[in-house]
Amino acid sequence: MEQCYLIPNYMIEAGHKAPQFSSTLPHGQPYLLVFLETDCPTCRLAIPYLNRLAEQSAQVRGISQDSDTLTRQFTEQTSVAFPVETDTDLRLSRAYDPVAVPAFVLIGADGYVKRAQIGFDKDELNAIAAEMGRRPIADAHDGAPQRKPGCSSRHLEPSDSSASPEPLNLYAAVGSRASRIDVSEDPYEYCFREFGDPLPVVPPTVERVERMMRGLDPARVIGMIPPCYGEATVEKIAANAVMAGCEPGMMDVLLPLVRAVCDERLNIHGVQGTTHFAAPLIILNGPIRRKLGFACGQNVFSNVARANSTLGRALQLILRNLGGAEPDGIDMSTLGNPGKFAYCIGENEEESPWEPLHVELGFRSGQSAITLFAGEAPHGVSEHRARNARGVLKAIARALATVWSYRACMGAEALVVLGLEHVRTIHRDGLKKQDVREFLFNNTGIPLRAYDDDGEGTNQTHLYKEINIDGEPCYQKFRSLEAIGIIVAGGGAGKFSAVIGSWATGPRGSQRVTYPCP
Amino acid sequence: MSITLVNPCNERKLSSAHAPRLQTLAGKSIALLDISKPGGNLFLDRLERLLVEQYAVAHVTREIKPTFTKPAPEQLIEKLRSVDAVVEALAD
Repeated sequence: MEQCYLIPNYMIEAGHKAPQFSSTLPHGQPYLLVFLETDCPTCRLAIPYLNRLAEQSAQVRGISQDSDTLTRQFTEQTSVAFPVETDTDLRLSRAYDPVAVPAFVLIGADGYVKRAQIGFDKDELNAIAAEMGRRPIADAHDGAPQRKPGCSSRHLEPSDSSASPEPLNLYAAVGSRASRIDVSEDPYEYCFREFGDPLPVVPPTVERVERMMRGLDPARVIGMIPPCYGEATVEKIAANAVMAGCEPGMMDVLLPLVRAVCDERLNIHGVQGTTHFAAPLIILNGPIRRKLGFACGQNVFSNVARANSTLGRALQLILRNLGGAEPDGIDMSTLGNPGKFAYCIGENEEESPWEPLHVELGFRSGQSAITLFAGEAPHGVSEHRARNARGVLKAIARALATVWSYRACMGAEALVVLGLEHVRTIHRDGLKKQDVREFLFNNTGIPLRAYDDDGEGTNQTHLYKEINIDGEPCYQKFRSLEAIGIIVAGGGAGKFSAVIGSWATGPRGSQRVTYPCP
Repeated sequence: MSITLVNPCNERKLSSAHAPRLQTLAGKSIALLDISKPGGNLFLDRLERLLVEQYAVAHVTREIKPTFTKPAPEQLIEKLRSVDAVVEALAD
């Protein structure tokens, strides 16, 4: 019988002198030591057989590796008919060194080991009984298995002596103050090495952080940042804002932004851990854009304004320094996303003919709001020849068809960022935002003929909806109108728009969230 | 001359302790946790067979997360506490 599958059996062997364990055993008689654990099913299985041996006046001693209390419960529950001693310090277990329990050590009258075996085996039990001059104790056909492996012996289980961390309180209102670090080297080099993204940061000196906090309670907890649930106190947020280069007024946006990023619907835990491209895109709406200088026009996605770049960067530093999503560790993104330096835009409300995103979602137009969307990098759509709304929107629909993967339907969502020249053409033709959404929903599909071989999206066509687009049978790309978000942004020159594909969506993925700003 | 900085990083102590390693799989109760990615069941079916046939695992429990994108629900983690070890399976 082979009991040990992973490590060799070093248990004491027949022919060795048995280590002394108790003075209560009668001398001059063979006796059977049985090492057992109270939570081991195989030990429980063995008890009635050992009872049969004890009932024939054989000397049987149980050695429990558990506490007195657990052992007493065990012996009562299983009606053990032989004495059981406890080996709570596992001294005896170490001396006999069984790999697993139950372990049977038959010791002869001469004090030498006659047999040593681990696990349950009816033949072995009968051989022990025979060697002790007793009748067989295990019937081959009593319904129990012929053999059953046991559990690893307690003395081989590594103990965890490290101190347990304090339990995580996700609802704490007051957190710990940040520690202070005295740096004698060039602080830029120190910060470059110890904190933040791979670009230089502004050293978060005590004075700068206090200026950033503007009298707010430094220990107030705004959120716990997944996936490592670092405590985002006002002070920690301010320190990261300083490093990102934010002006102090940015705290008005950063505090609701941290709340938004911790919203379970956004599921930043998953966004930060995924192999996908997703990064949280910040979209700003309302008067706060002008007040703090957020860019909404030309080069909106790039390096045009301090507000966009520093707020975007502050969020990323917070996610990294407090959330623990290290890009060479927990953040497993296969190819990454340049937005992980900063991904922050304002909607160009002034040049848009329609109500802005936050008003569409129920906020007042005079209210400011931030929206977070877990998205890929923008995918540009050039359409310079179309002379009407339909032509522009057909071009955008074709780009939307490629979101996530061309043939995958019903899963992903998308944000359409309409450029100003495109939106003027669309508006001139009398379309409202909802008309645009409906057009895109009804005109984005993948022709059935594209599903001619295997690949992503092809194994779920039974879930897809078949529609007709310009006379061609297609699978509809999106599951609902709401899967297509629409904003207006960018500069006045150039017939360009962009689509941004989502990560996994809905309650089982990431949902877009919008929070009010003061 | 030194300068004093405010620590911008998480200072909460994280648990780094591993669960005790099993010395043997024989007779153990093992849970296989499917994170609900495509192909996870294929991998776990094979693993379950290997554990039982080659390593004499006494009992294999199969569990599945509702979604791979989020941590396992509390109730599921509680259920997993009763086994000796858990194998969590990624896929794709």
